[in-house]
Amino acid sequence: MALEDIPLLGCGRHIDQLWATLHQPPTTHEQQCEQCKMARTSLQRLSEATRSLREQDLNDPALKPRPGITNAIMDVARAEIRRSKRIILGSTEEGTTEISEQALSALIRLAATAIPGVHSRRCHIEVRSSDPSPAGEDPRSRGTADAGPHLIINLRVAAAAGIDIPRTVQTLRQEISSAIPAGAGIRAEIINITVEDLYDV
Amino acid sequence: MSDQPLQGQVITSQLIASLAARTALETPGVLRLEPTIHGLLARLGPAALNNLRNPGSQNGTYRHDGVTATISDGTTHVHLDIATDITYAALNVAETVRERVRENIRHTALTPGPVDISILAIEHHHGTTHA
Repeated sequence: MALEDIPLLGCGRHIDQLWATLHQPPTTHEQQCEQCKMARTSLQRLSEATRSLREQDLNDPALKPRPGITNAIMDVARAEIRRSKRIILGSTEEGTTEISEQALSALIRLAATAIPGVHSRRCHIEVRSSDPSPAGEDPRSRGTADAGPHLIINLRVAAAAGIDIPRTVQTLRQEISSAIPAGAGIRAEIINITVEDLYDV
Repeated sequence: MSDQPLQGQVITSQLIASLAARTALETPGVLRLEPTIHGLLARLGPAALNNLRNPGSQNGTYRHDGVTATISDGTTHVHLDIATDITYAALNVAETVRERVRENIRHTALTPGPVDISILAIEHHHGTTHA
């Protein structure tokens, strides 16, 4: 049996038991038992050799990953965090299409750069499933931009002091509602814009 | 005449991944395939060793930067992570990629299963002017 394969000392103790408590002070039995004392001494040598080999490996330049590998992992990890959550645009038997929130935010920010007097800040995107087609209407006739999910965009901006804020925000809203279907092929249903700060021109 | 038996050509998951990646990159509007941490770790971890020992199989998964291909009982499943050109509608680009990949897989005599596409970035192509 497997249990019988575990080496036993003459005093009946398992060697694994000694190994597990090697870094603790010896028990009264271990202080008096010759077999336990010998086994502890041997195991301490083994433990020291293991530690030394482990440290050797840690400092061995041949075993260190090339700097390029660490950088590559970090680059991809940072990019993955920036991409944030994924929004499902459509799913059929032929496959699913999803888009990262970062990709959509990039479109929105780019649209905002076209409007003088606003600087885009945080952008948060939510998704609402598309409404079912009205009775008798073929969903395919509604066009690509009307199919799939509708987006609710929450954009915070800083506006230049002295501009006509309502008019500028309305222009920005129109710019975004054109940019999203053009760039992503889906519709931005609601675009909430919060002017949270003013800046001097 | 040689005593060596003729070896049949097997369509592996690596071949399907390569076909899907090439098809995607040749589709107008696709800038590149995007590596993900999942794909990268798969490349560096035990899966990398697996790929070296057995570069894709007829019943297995092959992962590389931005593309994963699986063949299961003669049906393929492909996942692509792509970056698209801002001058194209990303959803239309994804649809075109899907159609082309499925069409090309059909030519291998395997059954094209789902082609999942993640659009991870939308950017300006080098040389494209800002709107």
